[in-house]
Amino acid sequence: MKSIHKFIIAISIGVGASVTSCQKLNIPPTNIVTPDVIYSSEAGVRSFLATIYRNLPIEDFKYRPDGGDDANVNGIVYHLPGFNPGNPWMNFYNSASVTGEEVGPYGGLDIAGGFGYWPYGDIRNVNTLIAELPKHVGSLSQPTVDALLGEAHFLRAYYYFGLAKRYGGVPIIKEPQDPGAPLSQLQVHRDKEEATWDFIGAELDLGYQMMPATSDVGRANKYVAAALKSRAMLYAGCIAKYGSVNFVDGQARSLGLVGIPASKANTYFQAAYDAAKLLEGHYSLYNANSDKVQNYVDLFLKSGSPENIFIKQYSIANNTAHSWDATMSPRYMTANALSRSYPTLDFVSLWGSLPVTNADGTPKRFNDRAELMQGVEPRLLATVYFPGATLRGLTFDMQRGIYPSFSGTAAAEVAKPANSRSYILAGDVKTLYQGKQVIGFTGPWTGGDELTRTGFYVRKYVDYNKPQATVDLYRSEQPWIDLRYGEILLNRAEAAMELGNTADALSDINQLRDRAGATSYVSIDLNKVRNERRMELAFENQYYWDLKRWRTADIVLDRAHFKGLMPYYVFNENKYIFLAEPELYNREYTFQKQFYYEGIPGGEIAKNPNLLPNNPNY
Amino acid sequence: MKKLISNFLLGASILAVSACTKTDNYGGPNASFQGRLIDATTHANFETSQNSIQIQLEQISWSATPTPQFIPSKSDGTFEDSKLFKGTYRIIPKGGAFWPVYDSLKMEIKQGSSHDFELTPYITIKNFTHDLVGTTLTLKFDIDAPIVAGLPTIIDAQPYVNTTKLVGAGASIRDFSDVNAVTINKEFIDLAPAEKSITLTIPNLIRGRTFFARVGVRLNDSFKSSNFSEVIQIDVPNQ
Repeated sequence: MKSIHKFIIAISIGVGASVTSCQKLNIPPTNIVTPDVIYSSEAGVRSFLATIYRNLPIEDFKYRPDGGDDANVNGIVYHLPGFNPGNPWMNFYNSASVTGEEVGPYGGLDIAGGFGYWPYGDIRNVNTLIAELPKHVGSLSQPTVDALLGEAHFLRAYYYFGLAKRYGGVPIIKEPQDPGAPLSQLQVHRDKEEATWDFIGAELDLGYQMMPATSDVGRANKYVAAALKSRAMLYAGCIAKYGSVNFVDGQARSLGLVGIPASKANTYFQAAYDAAKLLEGHYSLYNANSDKVQNYVDLFLKSGSPENIFIKQYSIANNTAHSWDATMSPRYMTANALSRSYPTLDFVSLWGSLPVTNADGTPKRFNDRAELMQGVEPRLLATVYFPGATLRGLTFDMQRGIYPSFSGTAAAEVAKPANSRSYILAGDVKTLYQGKQVIGFTGPWTGGDELTRTGFYVRKYVDYNKPQATVDLYRSEQPWIDLRYGEILLNRAEAAMELGNTADALSDINQLRDRAGATSYVSIDLNKVRNERRMELAFENQYYWDLKRWRTADIVLDRAHFKGLMPYYVFNENKYIFLAEPELYNREYTFQKQFYYEGIPGGEIAKNPNLLPNNPNY
Repeated sequence: MKKLISNFLLGASILAVSACTKTDNYGGPNASFQGRLIDATTHANFETSQNSIQIQLEQISWSATPTPQFIPSKSDGTFEDSKLFKGTYRIIPKGGAFWPVYDSLKMEIKQGSSHDFELTPYITIKNFTHDLVGTTLTLKFDIDAPIVAGLPTIIDAQPYVNTTKLVGAGASIRDFSDVNAVTINKEFIDLAPAEKSITLTIPNLIRGRTFFARVGVRLNDSFKSSNFSEVIQIDVPNQ
């Protein structure tokens, strides 16, 4: 009997609780931001935009072309994120260090397979924005909605550009998909490569038409859209022109999922040229300092430069600072960390060979290492730290070793097996030879790769004003200049050259050469335009994509080895000599033809078999 | 109460026992596939090396969109994989210096399956001779093309030298091999008769050592693959 009482009590409590709780649960969820909150004000939309901007595929200081370490964002783990990677201090894992601009920590061409970039989550965010904005004209006003829509089209194009240059044709998804829709609608087929690039061009046209001429720093305006269009259309034009000559055959190609008909090349080149021309008069090359070296250094460091079109900012306070300063210079000149990627002699020789050898083949004798910099183009001196240069009051004292005496030619000496050369080397910077330090504090040294392997260090973007004690990891805030007018002139010149407009190309290139402190050209050809691009945009993560779109990567990087310039001290003469030798790890870099496109990520194919056929040879 | 607990335990143990009796009834990877790659011009095994020809297998009886798997060929021109799952596969050889095979083979693979593929090389290497003077090895050979029309550009010719019989692309000593390459960069049809006779020189071999050498001609196809000669043994005498 007692148990029945208990039973009745339990039931009454249960029923009572459930009846009352049902009413209380009927409130809007407090942990989800609803569309009303976001779209009721411009500030709300801005907070949504922040996520979209943060994830843009901007190949900045922290970008890891091999995917990098896993990133944990609010408890969600991203594997091989590439953009915004985990442990984002290793800024020497850049694409320059597989292309021969630099040699770095990669053992070979380790980035060519990509990291499975597939940003459809971010694209969904943009699609949601584009679908929602027109419903909120009341709270936001028509001009604001139009400007924001233009910005959204620009952002969507940016994501698709990141996809198209990796995979060719991808599914073009313009509306947020309904997760409840039938699988057949969710598993979207790939579009043709041509359609993908056309979509990117059209989106950027919308961005140009709808956005205002100016914007907050770090956000897009109409000229940012035009600038990106010149970059994207130049890429597409090259795919059409060069990709129809040098290609890997396969089903994806015969279906047009990769590859563009050659006949479309000039349409894209014209679009690139026209887009670049739109920026004329609105942006200009940074030319504030009459000292050409200092001017080129400051271009990457001074805020408010008229050359900056689109930048990405960093902040110590917000935990987004990068580590360029601590990872591009040797520990000798910083407060912490180490460097691991170094400019090659091959790169430096783009400016012409350095005068290190006499006419008879013997190495030229220098009283001081710094003499090597005499007569070198200011832009190169501002891009690369040479032996004898100074940073934070310390000298780049690169010295590979000591020759007690030296006779013969440079070529004969370098050709000798290492064990029959008469030089003195050392395993650390403390070792002395008759009271003279054998290797420099800044290398080169084979004991590790934290000192230069080539005799050079990167100077571009290095903040020389930072006191040494503050040069630490996550302490660099100089913005990444994603789009600058210098690149636009190069895009314009290359497109003009491809269209046969040499006069325009010549004038564009000479503007850059004048600012660089180089002599002007009197005539121009495609090779000069391309070399100017390599020199101007060095270490800016452009050359890897240039090699891909020119379809020259498999030729330039065909079992390629790169060189350094090793300074030695000749003891009995009290002079310095420089010998061109293989970089100290003598690594090999080979780009296979299939790498012109990355393979569609296997995990995505498993989710959506309609992505097949995969790109040729994957 | 005790009864309830014992009932519960009984139920749990029945569940546990029945779960254990379920066994994996899918066959293990006990099927195998092997065969030869045959040079259609000589009917001998195809001269190949590591990282060259691969047999691509796609198991179409498991999934309509299978992930391809590959059997790399051995340097003697044979291939074998003894840990395959039984099933129907779509099979195609890829990656070497031979005229591409477009018709893939559909085949049921079970224990002891085998198939030989006949492949037409891009370039055949003939009259391969060698001559060692002191420490300098000279390799001479003639090249010919079974099919000329549409042949990929010939990039270069080079020796491959190694200290083991496993010698070829990716298995050679760079200072004796890659650095002694001769650039050609011409279409076969544009080669003068004299240019089809190639001489490669390898200086400064090490005295008292045995080397294995062969020559290769690299073509600008999708894989930048090479046709190889047979492997020869070189004993460099002491003085």
